[in-house]
Amino acid sequence: MVAPVIAVHKLAKRFALSRQQRRTMDRKSDVLQAVDDLELTCKPGRIFALLGPNGAGKTTTLRMIATLLRPDAGSIHVAGVDALADPLAARRKLGFLTGSTRLYDRLTADETVRYYADLSGVAPADFKVRRDRLFAQLGIDAFADRRVAKLSTGMKQKVSIARTIIHDPDVVIFDEATSGLDVIAARAIIAFIRQCRADGKTVLFSTHIMSEVTMLADDLAIVYGGKLLYTGTFADFTAASGERSLEDEFVRRVELAEAQETRA
Amino acid sequence: MTTPLLAVFKKELTDTLRDRRTLVAMIVVPLLLFPVLLIGVAKFTQSQAREAEAKVVRVAVVDPMNDSGVAARLGQQPGLAVEQTQDVSQLPQRIRDEALDAAVVVDPTFQQNLAKNRPGGVTLMFRSSEDFAVAKRRIQTGLDALEKDLLDQRFTAAGLEPSFVDAIAVQEHDITSPRERIGKIVGGLLPYIFIIFCFTGCMYPAIDLAAGEKERGTLETLLTAPVARRTLVLGKFLVVALAGVVSALIAMIGLYVSVSNGIEGLPPGALEAVAQLLDPVAIAAVLAILVPLSAFFAAGLLMLSVYARTYKEAMSLISPLMVVVLVPAMLALLPGTELTLVTALVPILNVSLATKELLADTAEPLHVALVFVSLTALAAASLVACTRWFAREDIVFRS
Repeated sequence: MVAPVIAVHKLAKRFALSRQQRRTMDRKSDVLQAVDDLELTCKPGRIFALLGPNGAGKTTTLRMIATLLRPDAGSIHVAGVDALADPLAARRKLGFLTGSTRLYDRLTADETVRYYADLSGVAPADFKVRRDRLFAQLGIDAFADRRVAKLSTGMKQKVSIARTIIHDPDVVIFDEATSGLDVIAARAIIAFIRQCRADGKTVLFSTHIMSEVTMLADDLAIVYGGKLLYTGTFADFTAASGERSLEDEFVRRVELAEAQETRA
Repeated sequence: MTTPLLAVFKKELTDTLRDRRTLVAMIVVPLLLFPVLLIGVAKFTQSQAREAEAKVVRVAVVDPMNDSGVAARLGQQPGLAVEQTQDVSQLPQRIRDEALDAAVVVDPTFQQNLAKNRPGGVTLMFRSSEDFAVAKRRIQTGLDALEKDLLDQRFTAAGLEPSFVDAIAVQEHDITSPRERIGKIVGGLLPYIFIIFCFTGCMYPAIDLAAGEKERGTLETLLTAPVARRTLVLGKFLVVALAGVVSALIAMIGLYVSVSNGIEGLPPGALEAVAQLLDPVAIAAVLAILVPLSAFFAAGLLMLSVYARTYKEAMSLISPLMVVVLVPAMLALLPGTELTLVTALVPILNVSLATKELLADTAEPLHVALVFVSLTALAAASLVACTRWFAREDIVFRS
């Protein structure tokens, strides 16, 4: 059996809620268990989809894997690195792209990519090779010296992509990376995810859109209320759904969990 | 290879220097404010004063016996137009209507009293206002000259010298050096400039580099870079602190240029005194104090800024602080507040006091050293607190 690239074990995270948050969420408890005893395993060179409705704990989980948040309990290993013991080493293995990611308006495309390379400690020779290849691949050369503020949404997205993988990470994490994008821009992200797999990288992406899972996922997990409802290969999931569409199967499982929670 | 700290510093500096809002606050305003303000105010007050001087003051003199000499004396006074009248009842109304600026009413018994060596009575009728100061001074000068003549007559009649009434002749000899005198005035003003511009210079970059990153959605990505948080904080902090120092320096240059290029009406000798103030040692000491002050502001403002979710929220958290910063700066202007072992430990107040005394050349080296050390310690503590603050996920991901 191959060693997993991302191994998440018994992961838990709770947040304190402010009074205002309690009111808007209509909760009595002053803490929110965002992630509860979660297990995830991503195998090398495969695309893993983290599927769940809004508020299921997807972003919190991905932020913990990216060492932005510290879990209350559990362990996280990224490409063999204990992410809790050595977050810097773990981050060196990671590329991270979210749907809300934006770039520095006052830097040029070239400066933006160079900044992240410098932050990641990319050696100048490596940087030149990777930059030239990425810029040619994505067609950034035409606007490399233009400031980000003056770029179109599509151009900005290309710069974001180059920025995410300029340090050649083993793992690329996408947090709702297509949310709020138009069809063309969303397709560019989908193509990029496929490219990552083709380059031998491991991809973990979160979404609530079933069609993206169908297009991309090798493996998937469904989370709801911070808990794992299902994990397995995409093929197994399709087989288990039988006659139902994948979306129906997803909704059925979530509603089942919801009903159980209300009863409890 | 670029180290991560240098990369952060370079990027934040580039970003800051390309932000028009920050540039205006950091360079344009401090550079132009003093020349414009000082020259403008000087021009305005001079033109006001000239106008007041040029204005002819209309005075009515009522002299029932026509023997006091008041009207004649006032008539000799430049800038006074004297009108003789007997109609006392109309005077208040005419002054109210501004047909007259003032009226002098001589008592009918004026000469009788003088003859008995008693004071001759005179009533000055006017509407008190700031504008009246010039008119009053002119009338008073005229009446004083008349009184001196009358006194001289009395002394001569009594066979005495006019100097008979002067028992003591005091001569003042002020040994304060011009540097000390001007130093206390300029030294009281200069810390204001420092403190205000150091603060505003830090303010915009601080807001932009923390709350601005949050609002624009770049902070999360930045934090996923394999760089320690303290490196990110330090890089940002250095840029913000530098902005504060630069802004304060530019303000001082602006002030110096406007003063040395001659503001009309500046007392002669003031320029020499100002030039004397620019003693290299004093300037170096003032700059040495400016650095930790800016560092303290930078760390504190970054903390507030990263706590805020948006640019706007950061602005509303920070702008009231301006007043908090100004109060201790103002305290230094109160008479009697001096740099002591205690005041040297009060942040901001110590900057004001130390600057004042350094420029006047009356500072105790021990006190100045204490100001520097206490400010540096405060700045270091704020930086540590700021770094811890950036490491707190409930602050950075506050929603």
